[in-house]
Amino acid sequence: MKELRFEYSMKLEFETPVEKHRFTLKCVPRSDKRQKILDLNIDVYPKEFLSTDEDSFGNQCIYGYSEGSHDHFSVLLTGRAVCGLSSSEEDAKEARTGLFRYQSEYTKPGPEITAFTDSIRITDDMTDLDRAILYMKALHNRFCYVPGVTTIDTTAEEAFAGGRGVCQDYAHILLSMCRMKKIPCRYVVGMLMGEGLSHAWVEICQDGVWIPLDPTNNLIVDDQHIKISSGRDYKDCIINQGIFVGRTVQRQTIHVLVSELNGRL
Amino acid sequence: MKNMDLCRHTDTVNELLARYGVKFGIYKNNEFREQLFPFDAVPRVIGKEEFAYLEKGLKQRVMALNCFIRDIYGEKQIVRDHVVPEEFIFASSGYLAQCEGVLPPKGIYAHIAGIDLVQGKNDEWYILEDNLRVPSGASYPMIARDLCRRSSPSTFKEYHIEDNRNYAQLLRNTMDYVNTGGHTVILTPGRYNAAYFEHSYLAEKTGAHLVTGNQLIVEKDHLYFIDYSGKKEKVGAVYRRISDEYLDPMNFNEESLIGIPHIYDIFRKGNVALLNAPGNGVADDKGIYYFVPKMIRYYLDEEPILQNAPTYLPFYEQDMEYVLEHFDDLVLKDVAEAGGYGVVFGNKMTKEQKENFIELLKSEPRRFIAQEVIDFKDIDILDNGEWVPRKADLRAFVLMGEEPVVWKSGLTRFSRNPDSFIVNSSQGGGFKDTWVLSR
Repeated sequence: MKELRFEYSMKLEFETPVEKHRFTLKCVPRSDKRQKILDLNIDVYPKEFLSTDEDSFGNQCIYGYSEGSHDHFSVLLTGRAVCGLSSSEEDAKEARTGLFRYQSEYTKPGPEITAFTDSIRITDDMTDLDRAILYMKALHNRFCYVPGVTTIDTTAEEAFAGGRGVCQDYAHILLSMCRMKKIPCRYVVGMLMGEGLSHAWVEICQDGVWIPLDPTNNLIVDDQHIKISSGRDYKDCIINQGIFVGRTVQRQTIHVLVSELNGRL
Repeated sequence: MKNMDLCRHTDTVNELLARYGVKFGIYKNNEFREQLFPFDAVPRVIGKEEFAYLEKGLKQRVMALNCFIRDIYGEKQIVRDHVVPEEFIFASSGYLAQCEGVLPPKGIYAHIAGIDLVQGKNDEWYILEDNLRVPSGASYPMIARDLCRRSSPSTFKEYHIEDNRNYAQLLRNTMDYVNTGGHTVILTPGRYNAAYFEHSYLAEKTGAHLVTGNQLIVEKDHLYFIDYSGKKEKVGAVYRRISDEYLDPMNFNEESLIGIPHIYDIFRKGNVALLNAPGNGVADDKGIYYFVPKMIRYYLDEEPILQNAPTYLPFYEQDMEYVLEHFDDLVLKDVAEAGGYGVVFGNKMTKEQKENFIELLKSEPRRFIAQEVIDFKDIDILDNGEWVPRKADLRAFVLMGEEPVVWKSGLTRFSRNPDSFIVNSSQGGGFKDTWVLSR
């Protein structure tokens, strides 16, 4: 168990001002069995019309509209998280787990992933979690972490065929492999201890609970990950989605800082 | 009936329909063309008792379909009880995970259902298809009836026919029943949509505002209509004639320019009614059709009154065997297609086509259904003054409010080609009025 302090900041700068800006933010972590969120503070600019809700995957959404002209859009989120309270996430809503057994837009396997998955020997006495861990290890050995090769639109198959990518690609490929074997699993977005960008990993459902695995780091998530959202794939968990009116060039900067507060409790 | 005065006015009615702009658009080779929807004056006539039977069966069916959709986006008892395999839900294009746990106002998902039926040579009616997403067609018999009454008033004195011009009132009742407080609007993709005539006609007749996406705006938790003076008025019900994927770029297809950003978010909060509710396509998928009689038994504990056309699901091994054995007697349908596309007749394929198709069927069994070819009863049409028999179907409209109501009319579509069974208007067919006798 760790007590972490987090700071997520995102700034979108427009070269020429934009207007009629609509956005949906899914950047708010919430408390569950595994983590407890404290002292949460969120600052959004501009905020003419702001509202909040929970989507069908249980993610906190902030959605809003800014009609007037503005040259930047920013979000600053700070708080504390007590992580690693349990090895599993909240209990699965039984009726909904079925939908996570099926491939989604980003995870549909092609010949490369299919052949790779079929080449990994699994036996009948293995649980779904055993299999998923085996797939994770195999993927970790095969795939290289190289930023800048893939984009947010790269599918699991494309990334795998290229052999290189980032956390989003690791997660999509592992989802694709598990779903080929009908293991219910979902995509997770969150923050990892240290400094950098947001992180993505996977949760596997077994015996009614969700168990998080981080294929990029080849480990079972313990107390260094703060979960923000989950869904079928990247698309359900986009941190900042927006549309606006204006001809402009935009530049996005994201900065995530997660540090330990008191050392091991 | 062959001496009916109305038949002498076919051309007059068609000219009037053209003048009123009763057209529909077709996109072919990336080009938008509008064409007239040819009207045939010989009506389809349904007796009072026969219609009462259809009415009972249709209400039952639409009630069960609504129960099914609510169950699917909720507890999924029907899947848990192994009545419907989960593949047919989660892998279906009509299923939207974004609708999980979202309950529309008054719990209704299919407000306006267009159920396609055919009558066999044995006089038995069969359900061909349930259309729950944005079924169109009611406006055609509505306006045709109006024009027929003007052209030949004597015909309507001579026969005792249920007045079908109340469709607008029925639709209005349904919209008002689910309205969450505010104006009622009909949302059209615009002038170049295939069914634009219908959108404008229904707006005029129901007194709803006809709007495009850019006239609606979400502010905080409510939807507003921007009127001609720029004033914002709250909207409580949207009869949207835009498919789910284009409805809201923030929740569905992000490239949609005709939708309203965040409309789905406020719908989820219960602050506006959308007719029909997003995600209801999970129940009108051709693969799900097979399960509708089972749904009726499951949710209503009743025997289905109206039958499906005999259907096989190659997904089940036993059915696959049957399909391969009787391939030439069956019609095969791709579950993802609509509008008469993706339909092939086993006996019309060449040897090579058949082999390729069977290979595809074996690799993707869930993608197809197979049906016995129903020998539908022909209906006469007037072709250059001659009475000739043609294939025709019937689209019945069921409106769901506090109780389901079946419109006492319907759209009868026929194939102008004597050898064709496909009556879809997008494939060049014509239409007739449907008379329900009142005594």
